[in-house]
Amino acid sequence: MRTNLIQSYLNTSNQNQQYQQDKIVKDFDVHKELANRTFIKPLPSNGKLVKTNISNFTSEVWKDMKYDMRAFKHAVKGEANDHELGRLNDVGMKLGGLSIAAYLFTRKQTPMTKIFEFIGLATFFGAMDVWPKLFLQLPAYLIHGFNIRQKYEDNYGRKKMFYQDHQFIPWDLYSDEEINKIGNRLGVPKDIPNRREYIQEKMRKIALQNNTMWMLTAGFATPILSALMCNALEKPVAKYLDKKMNAKADALMTNLNDEILKYDFSKNKKELEQLLAENKGKPITPELFEKIFENISQDIDPMTSGSIRQDLERLMPKGTHVVSDEALTKIHTALQDHFKPLNLSAEELKQIIPDIDTIRTAMSEKNLFNGQMKEFSEPTMVIQNLLDTNIDKFLGEDTTSIQAKRLRLLRRTMGNAIAHGQDTAFQTAFKTQPALLLTDDISETLKSVSQVLNELKAKCNVFDRFAFIKVAQAQETVLANSWNEMSETLLKSLNFSPREIRLAKFDRELAAGILRNKLETLVTDKEGFAKFMDEFSRLLSEFESKMAPLLNTEGEEAHLYHKKVTSAFDDTARELYAKNMWKTGNSLVGYNSTAETSLKNIYMSFVTERVKSVRYSFHRFFDTAAFYYRIAQGYKLDDILPANMYREAKEEAVELAKVTLLEGHTSDTSVKLFQNRYKFPNKNDFSQIEVEGGRVKNKYFGTRAAKDMVEFANDNEYFEKVMKMMFGGEIHPDITERIKNTPFYEEFIKYRQDALKYIGGEKYFAKLYHLVDGQEHASSSLFKFILMGCAPDEMMYKLFNQKYNSKKWFSMVGKLGAGLIGVTLISQFFIGRTKDAKKIQQEAQK
Amino acid sequence: MISAIRDFSEKNITFKQQVSVSKQEEPQQKKHEDDSLLENNFSTRTRIGLDKLTKAFTIYPAKGLSGNRNSNFYEFLTMGIVPYIIGSASLIAIFNAYGSFQHSAKAKAAKLGNKMAMGVILYGIFKELSKTFITYPVKWKTGIDTEIPYVKTNHLLQESPDDYNLTSIEYHKVGESVDFPRWDLLYGDPNKGESINFRYDKIAKKNGLGTDLNDSDQEVKPMYKEVLIKSKLAKSISSFLWAATGVCLAFQEPMEKYFKAATLKFWKTDFYSQFKTFGKSFVESWGTLYKGAANAETKFEKHAGKAMIGLAALSTILGILNTVHITKKPKQVNVIDKNKESVVS
Repeated sequence: MRTNLIQSYLNTSNQNQQYQQDKIVKDFDVHKELANRTFIKPLPSNGKLVKTNISNFTSEVWKDMKYDMRAFKHAVKGEANDHELGRLNDVGMKLGGLSIAAYLFTRKQTPMTKIFEFIGLATFFGAMDVWPKLFLQLPAYLIHGFNIRQKYEDNYGRKKMFYQDHQFIPWDLYSDEEINKIGNRLGVPKDIPNRREYIQEKMRKIALQNNTMWMLTAGFATPILSALMCNALEKPVAKYLDKKMNAKADALMTNLNDEILKYDFSKNKKELEQLLAENKGKPITPELFEKIFENISQDIDPMTSGSIRQDLERLMPKGTHVVSDEALTKIHTALQDHFKPLNLSAEELKQIIPDIDTIRTAMSEKNLFNGQMKEFSEPTMVIQNLLDTNIDKFLGEDTTSIQAKRLRLLRRTMGNAIAHGQDTAFQTAFKTQPALLLTDDISETLKSVSQVLNELKAKCNVFDRFAFIKVAQAQETVLANSWNEMSETLLKSLNFSPREIRLAKFDRELAAGILRNKLETLVTDKEGFAKFMDEFSRLLSEFESKMAPLLNTEGEEAHLYHKKVTSAFDDTARELYAKNMWKTGNSLVGYNSTAETSLKNIYMSFVTERVKSVRYSFHRFFDTAAFYYRIAQGYKLDDILPANMYREAKEEAVELAKVTLLEGHTSDTSVKLFQNRYKFPNKNDFSQIEVEGGRVKNKYFGTRAAKDMVEFANDNEYFEKVMKMMFGGEIHPDITERIKNTPFYEEFIKYRQDALKYIGGEKYFAKLYHLVDGQEHASSSLFKFILMGCAPDEMMYKLFNQKYNSKKWFSMVGKLGAGLIGVTLISQFFIGRTKDAKKIQQEAQK
Repeated sequence: MISAIRDFSEKNITFKQQVSVSKQEEPQQKKHEDDSLLENNFSTRTRIGLDKLTKAFTIYPAKGLSGNRNSNFYEFLTMGIVPYIIGSASLIAIFNAYGSFQHSAKAKAAKLGNKMAMGVILYGIFKELSKTFITYPVKWKTGIDTEIPYVKTNHLLQESPDDYNLTSIEYHKVGESVDFPRWDLLYGDPNKGESINFRYDKIAKKNGLGTDLNDSDQEVKPMYKEVLIKSKLAKSISSFLWAATGVCLAFQEPMEKYFKAATLKFWKTDFYSQFKTFGKSFVESWGTLYKGAANAETKFEKHAGKAMIGLAALSTILGILNTVHITKKPKQVNVIDKNKESVVS
């Protein structure tokens, strides 16, 4: 057997087994080997270059995992080697990273931010891995023709980087053929001496330089690439999550019966049952009542809880009591306490205060123990009579002594309470035992009421989840995603320049100016505007099909959510009515006018109002664009600006309509429309307005001094005309033709009608009784608020900011990333320069 | 010709060994002519840390970029600190790149940016600090210091025909490689009056193998190696979990109090009050991490912080217990027979 110290060391364990037994030369003769000098030859290597490709990727990953697990086992026993410990360090790093992501996952509120904790972690490790592969390994391979991050597996199956240690590169793993091929690619002349060594040196140098570049650039590259990857992933992930969340919400309704089982009320049920069992047949004391009420109304809103309390009070009426032995004892004690201030001896007190038996006898003579008492005048009288007799006897002739006076005074104050409305000590004692007992009937009713309410609570929890996912005023709800998608697409199709976005982000007024300018320019370009309107109507149609079903609350067409809410509340109310819990039933479903304020209606209207508020915001934007187009095209201006209007008033009205549509804030419904107009318009000029480049070419408007501008409080037709211009006038046929077959058309027309009717029909909208068509139409301020929606300029102002921020961030990080990639790639061309091979060739030839 | 990197070579840096060395520096050179142990104290650790840090940003990249034939694995590994530091700074910068954002967006971004920055810093601090949670208990219990540093002198290849006797200095730890610990450095120097096995003797005594052992080094080495391996495993796992705990701490609400008070304008900083605010926020953050955030709903959300701290602490405790539980203790040891004469060569 060959003798080799290193070999014998490695052979101490199976893991170190370098050679298969059958490879060992059995008839090894050390003298012969020494004589032949074969002994000093290096041992042939069992290592190999690792060639990972997609086909063996999974098997390599699995192999690595098994290796790590084995390494951990070895390390725990204290038998691991350096390579295994190095791998375990990487495992620790990933474990730490996962812990961070898992913890931060718990701190984030929305699915998107939660999932991005893990995406962030994955992209960070991904970037760490991808950067050297993509921007060093690949270009180096393309330019120099070999893999600078080549891995090899050593004799013990340990994977290492080939060029890890430049003082130990296992060149023997490359065959001459492979090296020569690389040499050819590197342009090394074929006939130089020691060609292999020369190529190896070149390869070593290229690898070393690249490794150094890796270390220098990785610090910048990893966070930048990771951030850019996350940025790129944001939209697809959001889209995926939106679909998933939407489906999840829908599934909640389809599987309502299964979903409610997830809410466990067994603890609540058990507590009630225990409470009722413990107090079975016992009087229903106020404490017991409170405990029952708390149990039944647990997790129910305060308004409904109030109704439940009232119903329970009817079910278990308070106020009737029976006089028990316990009550008599308490009365006796109360009497003793009452006369305490006299400082009488026990013997004397005994003479004054009748004992319990005497009181009992006197009361039974009056038949006071049978039946229930609501008030205690009769038994009090009995006790007072007993007292009076005793006091008279005790005092005898003495009527004037202080003691006698004090005694009489105390007797007289017996019926006095400490404060008005409070029970006296005697009343409290009489109320010791309520007359009503916890009967089986009451218990059963309470149990079934609790059961019915628990079921409703479970359903409401599912409804809450559904409503939250779909329409809550929170990030990443289906409605919020729709809003974002629509508004962002609008911004994109309006094609703002970076400069406009940069300027518009400063404040709403600047944003309004830029948006108006954009719209007024767009409406002059028929084709461009048609494209914009097509995109807009596509968005509105999509919204209608996605969100509008939620607006159907009644009949066969009603959305499943509304159907389920209706049946859940109606069924519960019916069962509660049957149990005489009509107050609770009413607060759940209401009747007549209270139906509007019932819990059921709140569940339904919350969803519909949220959807409407988004829908109307975009309808308003659409209407704004349509109005700007009509003016720009001068379409049937006489209809909205009749010939009997002064030219100056026409110009003022168009301006007011334009500004109101674009900038009128929801709060303007309460502060009224307001416009200062020129007080002495030219009364001879009735000409029509002129339009140029999408804008009104004002002859008068804007030329007057501010001091001459006033508000015309008596022009009750002016605001009517403006309102009709905005919401009542005809829509340009170019637009109507495009949208009349879309799913949102009818709703849009209805929106215009509603806005005209309810905002224009408000008694005190512009001025008191300045009404459209003289008709007053009452509506809630909430409805008007929803009709106004979000003003287009406000919508865009927020978007300008978001857009600017993300663009700015992206351009900053993107430029850094691009710069880094550029430098790294270019550096490749300066890498690997060695002593000129031709020179070597020439030297050799000499 | 392979371009020389003499200008960047360590010849001109500390521990150089060349002709132009001044006479005053000679003893210092002499000291590190061969590989030698260094005192494991704060001063040495700081000096080594700074030396490695400086070289990682200067000499080693220069050597690497020029493809120097003397570049080695140690230099490559030392350069690992470069992406760590630059990466941390970049990460902080990316999350705080909101210079020209609108005020409200800026405030929102700053909140997260500050937390990220603090997270990166606490990650580093906790990762390094937590290793001492293992090192010291193991040292107290077994007498084995797993972090003893030594200086290694490399004799380099010629870079140009003029070069001779080029050397470079590396800092390693005796137990850095568990396959090949530097046992030789742990022997005492009889010339200095040290007993050859004095370090091994101490460890043997501490671990109950007794005194006056025939070959304490042979008895102790397997134990030493076991402790090295196990402590490395413990440090690998626990340090990253503590680092994660550091990041979690940075994300607690009380930290925001510190961010409000903190400023990078150090010339305007009242360091005492800054430090106090930080201390207070830091302590409170532990509380909120443990208790869970106020808006936590699910059990997972409520107890995630506890789990994080528990996991980190558990990994340290289990790591220590496993490390100090030495299985490779010799069952029988040979004790020197003092009555017998022996010759030490």
